[in-house]
Amino acid sequence: MGGEEMGQSALDLQRGGIAVLDSDGNVIWTDDAWAVDDGDGGPTRAPIGTNLLKSYRGHSDPIAQAIANAIVAVFEGKATYFEIEHRTDRESEHSLLTSVSALRGDGAGAVVIHRVVGVSAPPNRHRLVDVRAGERAPSDDGVERLTPREREVLDLMAVGLDNRGIAAKLGIQYSTVRGHVRSVIEKLGARSRLEAVARAYQVGLVPT
Amino acid sequence: VTEFGFALSEQHLTTPIHLALLHYGLPAMREAMVDFLSPALDDPTQAIYFCGPPGGAARLLSYLEQDTGRDLHEEVNNKRIVLGQGDPDADQQLQNLLDPVHELCERGFSLVRVVGPAAWEVEGYSAPEDFLWYESRILPGIEGLPVAIMCTYDAAELPAPALLYGALETHTHTLIHGVLSENPSFLPAERYLRTRLINLPWLNPSDQGRET
Repeated sequence: MGGEEMGQSALDLQRGGIAVLDSDGNVIWTDDAWAVDDGDGGPTRAPIGTNLLKSYRGHSDPIAQAIANAIVAVFEGKATYFEIEHRTDRESEHSLLTSVSALRGDGAGAVVIHRVVGVSAPPNRHRLVDVRAGERAPSDDGVERLTPREREVLDLMAVGLDNRGIAAKLGIQYSTVRGHVRSVIEKLGARSRLEAVARAYQVGLVPT
Repeated sequence: VTEFGFALSEQHLTTPIHLALLHYGLPAMREAMVDFLSPALDDPTQAIYFCGPPGGAARLLSYLEQDTGRDLHEEVNNKRIVLGQGDPDADQQLQNLLDPVHELCERGFSLVRVVGPAAWEVEGYSAPEDFLWYESRILPGIEGLPVAIMCTYDAAELPAPALLYGALETHTHTLIHGVLSENPSFLPAERYLRTRLINLPWLNPSDQGRET
């Protein structure tokens, strides 16, 4: 993805992108940044109707496989939200955060979002977060692994807001906030919401 | 603002109110609960909501039936008495309290009386620090509503003094040995979090081993 190491990715990693998939994995909406491998080693914009699930399945890259697995899990109702974060290459200061969330509405489907984030993460690390099942990869670098959105959520946890208040403040779904809160708690190695908040104060993540 | 009273004692208050009953042992709690809830049993315009750890609401209903000699199944069936659900996630527990209470208010009840026992380290319930956070968020959640909430703290069962401080700092009023008082120790939710919750001894590595 975005280089030799992950060159078979389905996205222009310098820009990030959003794709909405129907229940078969076909792109039914996408922004300008989304692109697929054109077979010659370079990305091209994914046309509506491209089967993104097949595109990911066709790659040997473990990240692409992880994203495909996340999409399938969402389609099958086994999870409502996944996050996969990894470095684009060893030298990059940025990492890529891919989220896969269930599409709400009459039909099943998923929203896949790639974001380039400035979080410094160890090279090639990737993790899978299943929010609904509460099963996550173990954390070893806590604070650094918080995504920008999780930092925002933590800031609002630190002023005491409940999940509904955080959702209203950030303009996102309540269920999404729940997932972020659980992820924050786990990444900070806390056993409870307040322990995570206390830890954030202790390490200076939020001003006292 | 709704004025309300107790059955036996000469207590008159206005809503919304978040009251901590500090007591020793179950009999004292049951006596206070009957005093607090009995007026609602005789007034169909009032509703009752029970909450607490898993199974706690049903136990409270059972106590109330035994202590008043009434069968309250009909009130439960028509949802004038509602049994809440405990949850290990304190935020979910908060929503489990606020959503039904708001619904009862929207149904037009003139007053909703709530009783919930504090509990610690109970299986299927939130961590103590999260429970105290939950307590601190209750009052902001019932702002402007005709709701009176009495949380019961059994001082004989409290595993740490910090929890008793928590009871005092998250409730606007206290009821101790039958005496109802405005609580000078009460702190607004945000201040409570910044000055108390994050400094709970067991959450700070440097304080490990200190008396809690």
